[in-house]
Amino acid sequence: MNSVVSVTDFYFKYLRSDLVLKNINLEIEKGSFTVIIGPSGAGKTTLCKAITGIVPYYTGGDYAGDIKVLGETTKGKKVSDLAMKVGLMLEDYESQLVSLTAGEEVAFSLLNHGFPPEEAEERTRKALEDVGLPGRESYQLDELSGGQRQRLALASLLAVHPEIIVLDEPVSAMDPDGGESLYKLLGKIREEYGTTFIVVEHRVEFVLPYATNLLAIKNGEVAAQGRCEDVIPRVYEDTDLRPLLPDLWQIKCNLEKKTAQKFALWKSEKEAVAELQAKGFGRGVRA
Amino acid sequence: MKLNAFTWIIVTLAVTAWVFILPLEAVATILVLQLVLLLYIKRSKTMLAAIGGLGVFTGMMILLQLLFGSPLDVSLFGGLRMLVMTLAFLCMLATTRIQSIAKALVDRFHLPVEYAFMLTAALRFVPNFLEDSTITLDAQSCRGYSNRGNAIKRLLSYVVVIRPLVMRAVAKSETLALSMELRGFGANTYKNMPKEPFTLVDFVVLAIVIVLSTYPFWKKLIGA
Ligand SMILES: Nc1ncnc2c1ncn2[C@@H]1O[C@H](COP(=O)(O)OP(=O)(O)O)[C@@H](O)[C@H]1O
Ligand SMILES: [Mg+2]
Repeated sequence: MNSVVSVTDFYFKYLRSDLVLKNINLEIEKGSFTVIIGPSGAGKTTLCKAITGIVPYYTGGDYAGDIKVLGETTKGKKVSDLAMKVGLMLEDYESQLVSLTAGEEVAFSLLNHGFPPEEAEERTRKALEDVGLPGRESYQLDELSGGQRQRLALASLLAVHPEIIVLDEPVSAMDPDGGESLYKLLGKIREEYGTTFIVVEHRVEFVLPYATNLLAIKNGEVAAQGRCEDVIPRVYEDTDLRPLLPDLWQIKCNLEKKTAQKFALWKSEKEAVAELQAKGFGRGVRA
Repeated sequence: MKLNAFTWIIVTLAVTAWVFILPLEAVATILVLQLVLLLYIKRSKTMLAAIGGLGVFTGMMILLQLLFGSPLDVSLFGGLRMLVMTLAFLCMLATTRIQSIAKALVDRFHLPVEYAFMLTAALRFVPNFLEDSTITLDAQSCRGYSNRGNAIKRLLSYVVVIRPLVMRAVAKSETLALSMELRGFGANTYKNMPKEPFTLVDFVVLAIVIVLSTYPFWKKLIGA
């Protein structure tokens, strides 16, 4: 397996907290789309920060174990250099924006890392175009809507061409349409650039069409991980984690248990209906 | 005609000095020039309101001076000086992007980058902060906060709004700090920003500044 992130025997506690991450071992495959689920306070955000080197090198705290990103340990790396390879969008993306205009926001990392202004400009143009904000370079931040500001935050990640993008609950403040369109955008970016995505998401129904891997965290420990089709049954067995699965997959697991059949990994209700009808379910029941 | 941010800073500093060394007629001329400039840039309601506000404030300062027994001409000239000084800053802010001012302060005046960044960050977070305060006010109103009663009572009850507001602001500034770290903020930030070249106009303006600043010296020379 070609893994871009590998965590081995990682433990971590903040300066003033109990162990927040315990015995974490995981591999993230190149080009995969991993969804992290888990109850509130489970350590999802901390794990995202660990992958990007913020934990423990920026926050402080005690740790054991090692994290490798693209084959190199995060130890001793500057957080900002690491961020050129692993982009992180924080939970509070609004406060993550540091500039007054959209163009400056996207170019900020590039200029700080010494890219020539012409290249920074070209990359800014392309990144804004990619997230559906073409030509908005000179817009003031308060001229953009909430959803547009979020896509701006994404553009400023894209502009540095990171191989991995980590997003911590990116659509928590959005309406369903906004959430759906953001994930559609992520799906498109992944197809186009082969970027690896790691996403913390409560409302898993948004990521159904895109998720390849699932990582369930509970009390700071990995409860289950692997490809979606392998992991879902195990997550379903855990009564704490079960409600975190999307309804469609809960139905799938329940049906599989009751009928002793196997179903495909449904990505949409349409797929589910099609397969169920093909297998003779609901015969005689009018749609 | 667009002046470089450096030129603007010099002009602003110079004007604040001139109001003390130049005679009344000259200061009054500067005032007229400032008003013409401001209204030329932006003849909007906000601009008129800003100028009007400063005017009222100046009037109050003049009254205050009179109350403390200063003679009328001294009070008036004092008020005029203050008005011209504040308008100089208003002119600079109305014509120059704060980002350019920050860059000029770092490049030419060796202001530490952190302080320069505070200028833009403050402007960036003002709308956020205002939004937060309405949200918090609404939330606490639902929990029974009300601004009725006498001043002391109102002030005390306002604490329930201030506290969450401060906590939100702290959380936001922590996120901002982390974001700056992630994105490599530092000595390079201003160094690598696109250059803003000087034009002929800048040199002319700077020359005028030098001539006017040495006015007492010239006067003596010519008088002699
Ligand atoms: N800066 C910090 N200092 C001390 N404890 C923290 C800090 N940040 C988070 N924690 C604790 O770590 C645990 C995991 O937090 P977090 O990773 O944010 O969980 P999640 O994102 O899954 O909700 C929580 O118990 C939280 O209280
Ligand atoms: Mg979290």
